[in-house]
Amino acid sequence: MADYFIDVLLDEGRLQAIKDAGLGDNIKYRFAGELKLVEVHVSEDTKNKILKEFDTARTDSRNAITDVPVAFLRELYHQVVKTKSLGDEAVEATLAKVDEIKDLAAKESEYLPAPEID
Amino acid sequence: MSRFLIQRPLPHGGRLVERVVRDPERAKKMIKGCPTYDIKPTLHYESEVPVRNVYREIMSICYGFFSPVEGSMCQAEVERILKERRLLNEWIFPYPLVFDISKDDFKKLGVGSGDRLVLNLKGKPFAILDIEEVWEISDTEELADKTFGTPEDNPEVVREKFNKKHPGWVIYKSLNPIVLAGKYTIINEPIFRAPFDRFWYPPRKAREEFDKRGWRTVINHQTRNVPHVGHEFLMKNAAFTGDLEPCHGILVNAIIGVKRRGDYPDEAICEGHEAVNTGGYIKNSRHLPTICLWDMRYGNPLESLLHGIIRQNMGCTHHMFGRDHAAVGEYYDKWSTQILWNEGIPSFGFPAPPTDVPYGLEIRPQNMREFSFCPTCKEMAYSETCGHEREKLSGSFLRGMVAQGVQPPAIIMRPEVFKVVVKWWKHFNYPFCNEKYVINKEKELEVDLKDL
Repeated sequence: MADYFIDVLLDEGRLQAIKDAGLGDNIKYRFAGELKLVEVHVSEDTKNKILKEFDTARTDSRNAITDVPVAFLRELYHQVVKTKSLGDEAVEATLAKVDEIKDLAAKESEYLPAPEID
Repeated sequence: MSRFLIQRPLPHGGRLVERVVRDPERAKKMIKGCPTYDIKPTLHYESEVPVRNVYREIMSICYGFFSPVEGSMCQAEVERILKERRLLNEWIFPYPLVFDISKDDFKKLGVGSGDRLVLNLKGKPFAILDIEEVWEISDTEELADKTFGTPEDNPEVVREKFNKKHPGWVIYKSLNPIVLAGKYTIINEPIFRAPFDRFWYPPRKAREEFDKRGWRTVINHQTRNVPHVGHEFLMKNAAFTGDLEPCHGILVNAIIGVKRRGDYPDEAICEGHEAVNTGGYIKNSRHLPTICLWDMRYGNPLESLLHGIIRQNMGCTHHMFGRDHAAVGEYYDKWSTQILWNEGIPSFGFPAPPTDVPYGLEIRPQNMREFSFCPTCKEMAYSETCGHEREKLSGSFLRGMVAQGVQPPAIIMRPEVFKVVVKWWKHFNYPFCNEKYVINKEKELEVDLKDL
């Protein structure tokens, strides 16, 4: 059992890709089914690497790693699908692109498009 | 009258400090011929980004939030606080508060004990400091360590040595070496900008507002966050404490000051809490969101002590405290605030809770655990009463969701609150505080000043 985890939220498109990757059984339905996600499990060592790379990152009361850049979460989702893994393998593949993610994160710290809501 | 009725407590120290001159002619006379100094933000000792602005302390002192503190502390008072968390007049107080300047500025000013210094803010006269003592901080790192404690000296609650990842420790580490100690007086009342203006209830006004609303018992909710439904349930349920009946009012008091990257903007925090009552989730007549200016030190039990003081001064009878109260990282035991209010922390000068020591507080702590969503009960449930496995809510989880542009389910964040988040997201082009926000905020501050 991993010590920590990262939530990857799923919209309809992502939901299908996760199922196609053979990870459908791992989809979790939260808050009366209103939120769908998969948990990527993270070891203590990998958690420390993430916290070292991203100074906003922290762990919350659930032992979830949060406040990582959106670019990191986006890449993590791609790596989950690519590696068909919900563990350190996907996280390590994501961290291999850390420079690229940091470049994107620097841009996203200036601007993130707001959603249109009613 | 029932003997169980709880009455509003007196301010901490017995009387409310109010050091504000409202007559401009009198103010002009008071500052005539005095040297002036432009208030500067405290800059991070390495990165040089603003980490504190002493103007916020001057505001909170002069309007009575920190009663009975009246100014920048002398050396003996700081030493006593670090040793026993008491002011020289015996009343308990958690933190050193000082007006610090650089050696160069001190040389240029040429002031000393007995002088009156005019403090300018945004280029306009704002306050005066009547200097009673000038002293030097020999080692700001030692001051920072002593302010927050160490695992060796405070083993009951301190779990890790403080370092530069802790924003409060950085504030003390970054102080200038020369302290001008003495009483502050505001001589030109700042005008709060929207939206902060409608949340400004300094202690006297808060107490008057409670009278107007017929609130005898009031429970405070400390916040530095946009509220999710877990916060809302915490407020509603903690308010059942009261005495013969639930608390008449719920005071939300948001700490407004230097922000950390990733926090919500202060504007969204204030209006987010307001949306809880405009949306009807807590009746407007029972709910009052307000602000207090303070650059948070994130001192968990020590910060909770300051919160108790602020809210008692505002007239609250109760204060709710949760897990990891005003904390960052894992420097303190996550329940250390509740330990302080339950049994005291002897190494911090509290052999008993702050309510049970001489010159202590009267506000009643309400130590709460957590609310989270129970899929079996199909509602928000309290951790100590619900017997099912629940889905924990965390502010940072929600922030992650918001950052990805996913509207949180209404069951965890009210749509009215999310609307406020998006409103300020559009305003700042970003949902949270980024470097640009932090720098601009410290330039613009929350207030403007008129010419005197």
